[in-house]
Amino acid sequence: MNKAKTFPYFFAAPAILLFLAFTVYPIIASFVLSFQERVAGEYVFAGLKNYTRLWNDDIFWTAMQNTFIIFVVQVPIMIILAMVLANVLNNQLLKLKGFFRVSFFLPAVTSLVAYSILFSIMLQEEGIINTALSYIGITAIPWLSDPFWAKASIIIAMTWRWTGYNMVIFLAALQNIPEDLYEAASLDGANKFKQFFYITVPQLKPVILFAGILSTIGTLQLFDEPFNLTGGGPADSTMTLGLYIYQSGFEYFDFGYASAIAYAVVVMVGILSIIQFKIAGDE
Amino acid sequence: MRKVIGRVSFLLIMMLVLGACSSDNSSSEGSAGEGDGSGKKVTAWAWNINVPVLEEAAKKFKEENPDFELEVVELGREDVYSKLTTGLQTGGKGLPDIILVEDDRVQGYMETFPDAFVNVSDKGFDESKDSFPTYKTELLSKDGAMYGFPFDGGPTGVFYRTDYFEEAGVNADDIKTWDDFIEAGKKIKDATGKAMLGLDLNGDDGLYRMMMTQQGTFYFDDEKNVNFTSEESKQASEKVKMMKEAGLVKDTVGWDAWISAMAQGEVATAPSGAWLSGSITQQAKDTEGNWGVFKLPAFEEDGNRASNLGGSNYVITSASNNQDLAYDFMEFFSTNDDVQLTAMDNGLFPTLNTIYENEAFTQEVSFFSNQPIWELFASEMNDIPSVNFTGNYAIASDESIKAQSEIMNGKKSIEEAYKAAEDRLKNRIQ
Repeated sequence: MNKAKTFPYFFAAPAILLFLAFTVYPIIASFVLSFQERVAGEYVFAGLKNYTRLWNDDIFWTAMQNTFIIFVVQVPIMIILAMVLANVLNNQLLKLKGFFRVSFFLPAVTSLVAYSILFSIMLQEEGIINTALSYIGITAIPWLSDPFWAKASIIIAMTWRWTGYNMVIFLAALQNIPEDLYEAASLDGANKFKQFFYITVPQLKPVILFAGILSTIGTLQLFDEPFNLTGGGPADSTMTLGLYIYQSGFEYFDFGYASAIAYAVVVMVGILSIIQFKIAGDE
Repeated sequence: MRKVIGRVSFLLIMMLVLGACSSDNSSSEGSAGEGDGSGKKVTAWAWNINVPVLEEAAKKFKEENPDFELEVVELGREDVYSKLTTGLQTGGKGLPDIILVEDDRVQGYMETFPDAFVNVSDKGFDESKDSFPTYKTELLSKDGAMYGFPFDGGPTGVFYRTDYFEEAGVNADDIKTWDDFIEAGKKIKDATGKAMLGLDLNGDDGLYRMMMTQQGTFYFDDEKNVNFTSEESKQASEKVKMMKEAGLVKDTVGWDAWISAMAQGEVATAPSGAWLSGSITQQAKDTEGNWGVFKLPAFEEDGNRASNLGGSNYVITSASNNQDLAYDFMEFFSTNDDVQLTAMDNGLFPTLNTIYENEAFTQEVSFFSNQPIWELFASEMNDIPSVNFTGNYAIASDESIKAQSEIMNGKKSIEEAYKAAEDRLKNRIQ
């Protein structure tokens, strides 16, 4: 009897302890840290100073704005692309399905640094992309040195990396849509496009929400692409919250301030997730 | 009974898990030198070409101290800083005895973590102070005491393609001022179609920093006031802008693009620190014999042509349990001519001035058209001005690069951009 009661806890214990040590403790510690500053090598309580500074920090707001622009442009493009790809790859008529699926998913598992370096080489002023564009008569685009195009480069890189990942999620969900829905629709004379919009999309709604939230969190934490590709430049035009947290902590040694930014991100992730749930309705 | 067994095993599991964490801790502390009790092992963190130099030095040091053992952990440069920052943040846990830190970073650590590094003046290093250029010893000093060992330096020069210069009929000896440099750039562009130099206009301000140092100042003046709106800053920025507007600049984003522009012969010059010689010798092998070096042009005729870019130092961490041995080794490392000559073989330019008379410095280097380039760099060492990096270098550098970027993209004038950068910087470091 007793044994049966305590038994599950043994199995849960390691996971719980690790969770306490590596998730709960850092969450609490960084919260405390966000109210502290370093004076002559010692941490002292600083009240709301880090947060008021955050409110007045132009770079923070620029980073917010950049993150928001990237979010608004990139996430919809990626989700729609992923959905379309998933549908195409789910098509019965398509040959070599496995090959295509792997090819699209591959970017998600490549090394971050390797892919960023590749992109930065390709996006150089005389890089392969501009060379290719010149053949179709488009003049060289300053991919990494112009504020607008630098953002575009980040969006392209992120889309390349994460579309396949989201596509796999959608592919899995597509398997769960009953075949008879499509059958009934085609009997009623609905073409492929109508089927997509009136059956596939509504059926995928919970998954779209899930992918949307994951991407939202991912975008708010965006770090690798700007860090490796643009360093936040030119002139902060690709500075993101994740990169600013890193710089404040590890380059400017201001861990208290970095923690304050991190908590601002947490609050925003929370708010955005609630909004998404509300828009999606249902549960 | 079962209940007891249950609780005991629950505790055991907890101990296992926690034990796994804590044993991790003690083993990393072990690397801080308290070690296995023998007390003869010293650990160091360094990157890249510094590693073989340390190892060679340890071999030599061992001849006198047979028990001595050095463990060099090779890490990436950025990783060393991340780990050092985290280690200091947690009060010195997991840090090794010796760490390599670059010139531009070291004051940041000394200010933010005042007790981080061992005071080497207390241990007697002041005796050797005269063997190093003042700009180096001042960099490592706080309240009159030194907290590190000067190692390599980056005396500057303009690396240039002798063949392009010849084709355009430009004589490198005639380039005395930055204006001459720009004129030469235009000629070379006309004759060869090549850009004069590669710059990462939105990501790095190396040329501006060299020009500031050359004029005896930096992001901050001697009193630590922000210096962006100074006359020196304006002059430096103007020259960079003139180069850009004359079409002499190839925008190379990042280190790799910059080096490959040299390797592929797309640029005619590269103003940089002496350490660049190592990189081009290795990565632009095909261009052997087509390179030369001249000193940075001055701002006005007969002005100062010595400057510095980059360089590094070794520090002993206060967390080390083996400070005396680490000190003995590092003192040997820093002041031994043979060790510093191995550093040179590895492409690092030593700041230990007792070796400049060595024949290694007068030898002709075939890659550089048989020019004795080391002699040229060594001749600068006493003229390199001391500048104030301060603990806020990283933030200042961020603002400086932004200002440069805004100027080069035509968004703001030099005055506007640096005024704005100065205001922002003052705000950020208050």
